[in-house]
Amino acid sequence: MSVTLLRVAIVVVALGAWELVGRLANPLLYVPPSAALPALGRLLSLQSYPDLGEHLLLTLREIAAAYAMAIAAGLGCGAALGLNRLVGRAYGPILTALYAVPAVVWYPSLMLFFGLDAASKIAFGFLLGFFPITLAVLAGIRQVNPHLVTVARAFGASDLTVFRVVMLPAMLFTLVGGLRTGLALSVIGVIVGEVLGSKAGMGSLINHAYGLFRTADYVALVVVTLALIVGSDAVASVLERRAQRWTE
Amino acid sequence: MTELIVVEGVDKRYATSSGPVDALRRVSLSVGAGEFCTLIGPSGCGKSTLLGMLGGLVRPDAGRVVVDGRPVDGPDPRRAATVFQDPGLFPWRTTLENIEFGLELQGVARERRRAVAADLLGPLGLREFAGKYPRELSGGMRQRVAIGRALAIDTPIVLMDEPFGALDEQTRLLMGEWLLDIWRRTRQTVVFVTHSLHEAVALSTRVIVMTARPGRIKSVLELPMPYPRAIESTELVALRAKLWSEIREESLRAMGEA
Repeated sequence: MSVTLLRVAIVVVALGAWELVGRLANPLLYVPPSAALPALGRLLSLQSYPDLGEHLLLTLREIAAAYAMAIAAGLGCGAALGLNRLVGRAYGPILTALYAVPAVVWYPSLMLFFGLDAASKIAFGFLLGFFPITLAVLAGIRQVNPHLVTVARAFGASDLTVFRVVMLPAMLFTLVGGLRTGLALSVIGVIVGEVLGSKAGMGSLINHAYGLFRTADYVALVVVTLALIVGSDAVASVLERRAQRWTE
Repeated sequence: MTELIVVEGVDKRYATSSGPVDALRRVSLSVGAGEFCTLIGPSGCGKSTLLGMLGGLVRPDAGRVVVDGRPVDGPDPRRAATVFQDPGLFPWRTTLENIEFGLELQGVARERRRAVAADLLGPLGLREFAGKYPRELSGGMRQRVAIGRALAIDTPIVLMDEPFGALDEQTRLLMGEWLLDIWRRTRQTVVFVTHSLHEAVALSTRVIVMTARPGRIKSVLELPMPYPRAIESTELVALRAKLWSEIREESLRAMGEA
């Protein structure tokens, strides 16, 4: 209860400060909430950007594609690195080092490679989401109690069965945590990609509004994008908590 | 008595950072159907390694293990079930689900395996704990779940690697009595590894004493006395003393080496 209260409080304080600063500053550069709210209304009623739905859908589809690829590749690479000691020792450190590189430095080359359309955004979202998922699978496999693997083998389990009935449940919590981080980063990748250079999607709308000094519209677009991100993370956090209760 | 398990001259050598260690050297023995055969010996004498070979988890460097006429070349849940010192229960499974584990791997239908597991709860003394998770159970209960998991697949052989080694003495005594009760009903062949002279004398039809590393068979004691055994009877006390004098020598050697 008090957590909720504190959360509401910080939002109220932030909005109040924002309103104050917005009223004092240049209205072209700063928009107070009192002006952003009507802009949000115009946005959601499709007055300012009639094709908002298409852009939103495109962004969502890019995220879905990037995330799906990140999951598939992350699970595959993580399992390959985690289950084979030699491969893991050879490539694990390289992976960790690459993860430490600020990923945005790769983006220009992705644009050159995949063009300005959706492909480069998907690639960037994939790249960002891939690492935390792979590393979570790797960490998850490492934390599986080897004795449980021995027990399963004694009961006649094959490699595949051991993975399914012992490893997967044992690492579920870590895995879901990685999947959640991966989702957040895939979303960031796609939207950053769109902001840095694109012809369609929420990022391109944000860029458009910002470039034309339509600051109120810009803020409204950011709010909608924010809702998208917070919403997807909320779903992921519910799943994570369920996994936690299950593994404990 | 028919020989169910025959061990023929097995060797096992482990590579360690300080060079190779001979765990077993030329060990041969046989266990008859329905026996409660105990392996006892000083720490590191390779008794667990030997048990692992019987279960197909450890491959001998030389020699072979034959069970029921067929050489062992890997774990075979139709022939032998294993209980380890660490119960190794799956923390995300309830008591019932843990007991069902082996049947599940064998593809037994859900209702059928649930019924088998539920029937075991009574003898295991776990009726009220069917839906509990391992973390909610005491050490003794966890080990009974692990034994239930082994009994559920109803193998002719049950291999037990110091199953009560991590329990306190009182729990241990009670678990021994309980196990005896179960064994006298199922008449499975049990190969039991222990450090405890008391357990060896109270439970076994035969005790095999192993030497300090490299493990060989030092002597074999037949214990034809009926069950339940009065553990403080002069006969058993004398047996325990005899057993101890056999093992003491080996334990001293093992300690001297360590």
